[in-house]
Amino acid sequence: MPLLKVKNVTKRFGGLVAVDNISFEIRHGETLAIVGPNGAGKTTMFNLINGVFPADEGQMIFEDVDVTNFPSYRRAHLGIGRTFQIPRPFASATVRENIAIGGMFGAAGSEVNVDEALEMADHYIDLMGLTPHRDKPAGGLTPIEKKMVEIARALAMKPRLLLMDEAMAGMNPTDIDKMVVFLKEIRDKEGIAIVAMVEHIMRAVAGLAERVLVMHQGAKLVDEPTQEALSDPKVIEVYLGKPAEELNNA
Amino acid sequence: MRQLQKFSPILPVILAYGVLLGIGLAYPGKWQLIAQLAFYCALGQAFNLFMGMTGYVDFGYVAFVGVGTYGMAVSIYYLYDKGLGLGLVLIGLVLAAVFSTGLSLAVGAVALRLRGAYFAIATIGVNEGFRYLVEGARIWNGADGMIFSRHLRKAVGRETAMALSTQWADIVVFGVAVLAAVLTLVYMRNKVGYALTALREDEDAAKVMGINVTKYKIIAFITSAVLAGLLGASAWALKLTYVYPEDVFQIHYTVEAIIIVLLGGAGTLLGPIVGALIYGFSKYFLAIVLPGFQLLIFAPVIIVIIVLFPEGTVGIFKKKIRGTALEKFII
Amino acid sequence: MIFEQLSGNLLQGVVLGGVYGMATMGLSLIFGVLKVVNVGHGAFIMVGAYVALILFQTLGIAPPLAVPVALILGMALGMLFYYTSIKKLLKGPELASLLATFSIGVILEEVCKQLFTSEARGYHWDLDKLDLGFTVLPYSKLIAFGGSILVGLLLYLWFHKTRAGMAMRSVVEDDEGARVCGINVDWEYALSFSIGIGLTVVSGVLLTMFIPVGINPYMGGGYTLKAFVIAVLGGLASPYGAFFGGLVFGLIENGSYTLFAQIPGLEPFAMTRFFSFVMLLVILLIRPTGLLRGK
Repeated sequence: MPLLKVKNVTKRFGGLVAVDNISFEIRHGETLAIVGPNGAGKTTMFNLINGVFPADEGQMIFEDVDVTNFPSYRRAHLGIGRTFQIPRPFASATVRENIAIGGMFGAAGSEVNVDEALEMADHYIDLMGLTPHRDKPAGGLTPIEKKMVEIARALAMKPRLLLMDEAMAGMNPTDIDKMVVFLKEIRDKEGIAIVAMVEHIMRAVAGLAERVLVMHQGAKLVDEPTQEALSDPKVIEVYLGKPAEELNNA
Repeated sequence: MRQLQKFSPILPVILAYGVLLGIGLAYPGKWQLIAQLAFYCALGQAFNLFMGMTGYVDFGYVAFVGVGTYGMAVSIYYLYDKGLGLGLVLIGLVLAAVFSTGLSLAVGAVALRLRGAYFAIATIGVNEGFRYLVEGARIWNGADGMIFSRHLRKAVGRETAMALSTQWADIVVFGVAVLAAVLTLVYMRNKVGYALTALREDEDAAKVMGINVTKYKIIAFITSAVLAGLLGASAWALKLTYVYPEDVFQIHYTVEAIIIVLLGGAGTLLGPIVGALIYGFSKYFLAIVLPGFQLLIFAPVIIVIIVLFPEGTVGIFKKKIRGTALEKFII
Repeated sequence: MIFEQLSGNLLQGVVLGGVYGMATMGLSLIFGVLKVVNVGHGAFIMVGAYVALILFQTLGIAPPLAVPVALILGMALGMLFYYTSIKKLLKGPELASLLATFSIGVILEEVCKQLFTSEARGYHWDLDKLDLGFTVLPYSKLIAFGGSILVGLLLYLWFHKTRAGMAMRSVVEDDEGARVCGINVDWEYALSFSIGIGLTVVSGVLLTMFIPVGINPYMGGGYTLKAFVIAVLGGLASPYGAFFGGLVFGLIENGSYTLFAQIPGLEPFAMTRFFSFVMLLVILLIRPTGLLRGK
């Protein structure tokens, strides 16, 4: 049984077709990268999987449960977690409280009480090196620190599918490499499937993802294992860049 | 021990109310002022539970106080000759809670699905709407209101009625204030509080984190409404022994509630108490010096607070004491 | 007989509704451009009413001539409030601007209370009436109605035929995009807010044709509620929708009054006001962004 099955999903905004009849699957523990030029519909796709808004057509099935009409919070309970491109921590709450909120209301939330969630948060704080900021209000952190909190909070939700929206935008290459290593560890240890959306950071894509889904103007262009996708002429044409070469030079 | 520590912030609250009550009992001449301050504390704590914790403004809030007033009034007016004695007051409180729950569910069913500005719009007419329903359909004597001092005297005897309308109504107000504070702290220390903080800061992110925002908004809304109802039942119905729709649905009480919560610090536990004391004292002295000017002075204060000091008195204080021992008690 | 009375009331409703609609245009304009809900809306109508009252009673100036005075006063107030408070709250939580506009309303009410006392007043602009048989329409009301339509037309022309108006429309569509095009968005905000307030104050002058007595500092509250019902009827961000929403509302208000008056045991005036509130909730439930799609 695939973890997530997206079937013929379409989303329109007025006259614009943002996501055009897309179908794909994600398997347990797999890492999929969704890439594509600006305006390809990636964020919309994420929002659809997450339940931020409903699809106009099509179905979404998560572990055999039809979540097509579920609001985001119910999908979170089933095991879908998410980080946002621009981090959205709960500003007045401390780092610890932020992460604990993920634990309290996420997939394991019903078995976890407030104190247990706070302890769980401590575990992630140590893991991600956020200890000096533990009791600071999340709003006062630097963007990179906020990103770490964002990821920790999503992880605390104990997701089985983690949607990471441009998690590495704005990072320098060294940090990206460290983050890739870190995510691989988490993924393997906690057995999460990750869907990463990275725009032009091929380093991360190549390092992390086994499969790549390339979107273009709302539709699925290719859905192939990473190496194939990155050297697929269709993909190169759409990007007007040279992903394969970039890898060779990296 | 851990459990006790969690609830240590209730200590300053108990202290504050204890001192207030003590002063009132020691100086009977000042009881009116103390009672008024207690009223503002209760109003503030109750309102804070919703507006402070969710960030939504309910402009029709006074409707819940009004409907609670009617709860007590109805009990006394219609049941005075059933030989229930003081049980009448208890039934009045229960009815107040029931009425306010009913109204909050009716309004909430529509309003709580709406976001910020639309929610405010939905609530802007609640107090007017309900008042005109009562007057228009001549419910409970419509615009003529109810006077039930005679009924109360017949039910419990002259002396008890006197005691109820003076000391005891105000003691109940203290009780409502303490209850509101306790509930606020209980919510803050449980999932409810965290959910409310999250949805106040960023409602969409909260949903994505698995929070059923509507459920928690409703919980806060109804709790806040019931407390308002109990306040109306005691501070207005029991104390005055009459009720008129044009009195109990006046928007200026909502304005006062907003001032109190903002002055003290929205979303904090002690904020409403501090705000109530500042506002209550100021109003008291203004009434002597410049009667009729209170709102004119305080309305710009609201704007100044929102622009310059949105976190209010206690909010600012909390920042200053971060890292000290006081942190555990002042929230 | 009842039919005559009903159609008479409905016509009166349309006439009043047109002015209600014009009164709501300012609200919709401010929300459309600044995304701010002016909760103190009714207080500005009250200010307009007093402008008309004072000018008529002290200087004998007829209401139509009070309109330009009201417009200038309104725009000045709008600029004042924008620069002292609204501007700083645009980026903050919604709660902040709601409370600010609410407080501004309270300030206006209290200032007027100090200046004019809470006593209800009125004036009588004695003009002839139009007798249509089944109902009588005073010319003063017709002038108010005509004035509302005129204002609506002028606003339309301004938005679509002038550069300044089009600049404002672009800010509604996309304020970032407008900024990039070199439009001074902050000035557009200030201008929209002041025009919106100006329109609202002017509507207060026109509404006095329908208020023989009852001008008092606290009269605004009822109009705020009506304005919100009309605004959500017509689409909260659409000034034209507001106008048509006003017509519909006027019809419904008068129609419901007639119907309630037929039912014994009910106070029609109070029930009509309750009914407006129910309408608000129903519309918000079904379609918060407006039932009628204006432009």
